Amino acid sequence: MSASTTTTPLLEVRDLTLRHNGRGGQTTIVQNVSFTLGRGEVLGIIGESGAGKSTIGNAVIGLVGKSFEQSFGTIRLDGVALETLSDRERRKLRGKTIASIFQDHTSSLDPLMTVGNQLGETISAIHPGLPRSEIRRRTIELLGWVGIADPAGRHDSYPHQLSGGQRQRVVIAIALAGSPSIIVADEPTSALDATVQKQILDILRNLVDTIGLSLILITHDMGVVAAIADKVVVMKDGEIVEQDATSTVLENPKELYTQQLLSAVPRLHLSPSAAHSQPEEPAPILVVENLSRSFGGGNIRGLLGKPSAKFALKNVSLRVPRGSVLGIVGESGSGKTTIGRILAGLEKGDSGKVTLDGRARDISRSGDEGLLGHVQMIFQDPALSLNPRMTVAETLRECLRFTARKEGPRNPDEITRMTDRMGLARTLLSRYPHQLSGGQKQRVCIARALLARPALIVADEPTSALDVSVQAEIVSLLKQTVTESGLSMVFISHDLAIVQGICDAVGIMKDGRMEDFGPSDFIFGRSENAYTRRLIDARPKIFTH
Amino acid sequence: MKISTFKPTGFKMPDRASYRQFLTMPNIVLACYVAVALAAPLIAHQNPYDPLQVYGWEASLPPGTEGSGGFNYLLGTDGLGRDIASSIMYGLRISLLVSIVSALAAAVIGLTAGVSAAYFGRWVDALIMRVVDLQLSLPTMLVALIAIVTLGPGIDRIILALIIVQWATYARVARSVALSEAGKSYIDAVRTMPLPRIRIIFRHLLPNSIAPAMTLLPIEIGHAVALEATLSFLGLGVPLDQPSLGSTVANGFQYLMTGQYWISLFPGFALFGLIATINFVGEDMRRIWDPRSRSI
Repeated sequence: MSASTTTTPLLEVRDLTLRHNGRGGQTTIVQNVSFTLGRGEVLGIIGESGAGKSTIGNAVIGLVGKSFEQSFGTIRLDGVALETLSDRERRKLRGKTIASIFQDHTSSLDPLMTVGNQLGETISAIHPGLPRSEIRRRTIELLGWVGIADPAGRHDSYPHQLSGGQRQRVVIAIALAGSPSIIVADEPTSALDATVQKQILDILRNLVDTIGLSLILITHDMGVVAAIADKVVVMKDGEIVEQDATSTVLENPKELYTQQLLSAVPRLHLSPSAAHSQPEEPAPILVVENLSRSFGGGNIRGLLGKPSAKFALKNVSLRVPRGSVLGIVGESGSGKTTIGRILAGLEKGDSGKVTLDGRARDISRSGDEGLLGHVQMIFQDPALSLNPRMTVAETLRECLRFTARKEGPRNPDEITRMTDRMGLARTLLSRYPHQLSGGQKQRVCIARALLARPALIVADEPTSALDVSVQAEIVSLLKQTVTESGLSMVFISHDLAIVQGICDAVGIMKDGRMEDFGPSDFIFGRSENAYTRRLIDARPKIFTH
Repeated sequence: MKISTFKPTGFKMPDRASYRQFLTMPNIVLACYVAVALAAPLIAHQNPYDPLQVYGWEASLPPGTEGSGGFNYLLGTDGLGRDIASSIMYGLRISLLVSIVSALAAAVIGLTAGVSAAYFGRWVDALIMRVVDLQLSLPTMLVALIAIVTLGPGIDRIILALIIVQWATYARVARSVALSEAGKSYIDAVRTMPLPRIRIIFRHLLPNSIAPAMTLLPIEIGHAVALEATLSFLGLGVPLDQPSLGSTVANGFQYLMTGQYWISLFPGFALFGLIATINFVGEDMRRIWDPRSRSI
């Protein structure tokens, strides 16, 4: 730094170290972290779970520090060291100087208060004595700033009457209420759909540029960083791996870990690649015709109130050729999960025809006994997908034992052969699920699904609860197994790039309908469907080719 | 990768270092109660219900009188010459037996019913839960009285009556826990496999729904002790030749007016101490086992 720049940075974190004295000895959560944040800057802190990124954010907001047995280093805000302040002085800073936005927009808002009142409450806490009319005026102004259409009308809405994206906008408005100079946003868009995420990021960037706000953006998503951050801090296991300008980190990463993180981000290829010559399509393993499913109609509430049947699926048709992978992409509420659950027999369909392996499925009720085991599911959250009170071996042995009934006795060696294939060490067999990492759990789930020798695997967002680097491993494992064993799979995801990497054909769903359907090359390269294009455009350009 | 050393979630056993937390006053007192009940035939001066060991002419003696059997009636004797201290020890056996057996049986039945209701849903759920509602809407005492009157006297009947009274509470708790467990994908995963339903319920759903019922158990045992004592006091409880603490209290009730307080009072104290101790133990166990209350 040249001697001429005398201005202190707005926020300076120097040698921050936070340690816990746990039962098993000392754990260092954050180690020697230093960075600065200037006015009107966006700093992205990126890392996988357990990297300590949220802890740093909380330390800046002043939520932690005291709870750590040992904390070293300084956090200077406008030249004033935070640790020298009393609790009262720190509390004054919160909201006025530093505000925060959290991931979960549902729990950040009081469900019993209108959004206008919640916002007004914050305003009057920061400017006591403002007249009501003035508070209302400012509230509506703030709602307008964060891009809520009809802010005056939305003033009296309750949080549940808003969509997730609108709720997160209200949370941002509340953070802005005290006109803070720094906002710490912890995964602000992770709970949102891709198209909404883009809008929220645009709003944040716009606020930074127009009112000179500084933003610390904590995220696991390279795409988010690429979209709006000026500087990036890459963290791993509580330490900074690399920090530099965003473009430098993205285009020219110095550290191996950053390179790995970047290469793990699935990329979307838009240029129609050399279309693999499609041989004549093999007989389909799965045909779905005009499948519909509605919720909420016909029950007692429907009889007493207005019958408000809501369609989760409307006349959806699709086919999966034997040995191929169909990707189903859609945002939340598009019905993609419902399709998967109907195919697996976990839910019933109202009307339509499902033919699996040449046999018509009875979709009028869930749990069609004749087809149990023929469709296996891999679920989103591996932490919930394994019985917490059974070891890995017990889980797999159960699967083998009960699927054996229909096929005659099975060799118990299959279990170890399968776990070897999944890249699971044999010592893990005696472990309980909570003793495994997320990636290991998901491997066990895949092993269980394969041991049942299904005709079709339905994978419902199998990677979205995992860290980026683990995601890539699981996707390539799935891809490899499917190719090796000639299995057919329906792969449900919200992420276009992952789907492109693994699927032969893609269906795009929106509001319970199949918007677009076709071979992967066609959907990503030539499809003219407006919604498909919008989904593709919502992705950060840097990861699109 | 960091591997934690905890046992499976749900029913968490405390680790070795925290076994010391079991050395609390209520636990020690309860252990003494149980020890006395178990050892009653060895340490009591007489078996008050064996006519050969009771000296009928030494009736209604005040506490501290020297008896002709070569021992001191520390707590006095009742109207039939039975040693009150020995009666308390023997009564404790029956009280504890009845309450523990009934609470455990009610837990097993209630858990199974609640978990089945949650798993099957629809009419099974409606049927079981309406019976539970009906049961819980009637006063406990009334249900117990009706059960006793219909079933007749006897220890086994009392246990049955107490099971009828208690199972519904477990069923309701178990159902709500099982409902949230059934929504997790490990249940979905086994539902897509050709597993017998009974296995899904007993191997997957039930073990993961047990923990909250465990916190209910000690408190329900306390209830059972009190309820059994009340029934026995009313003369509807255990038969006369197998008296519990409640019937021992009832024995001396008529003598209270004539100043022979000890016949009712000391068994009453013992009963009070037992129920209070069980409730304290239950509170401790709830704190240890219920993760939600622990984190606060």
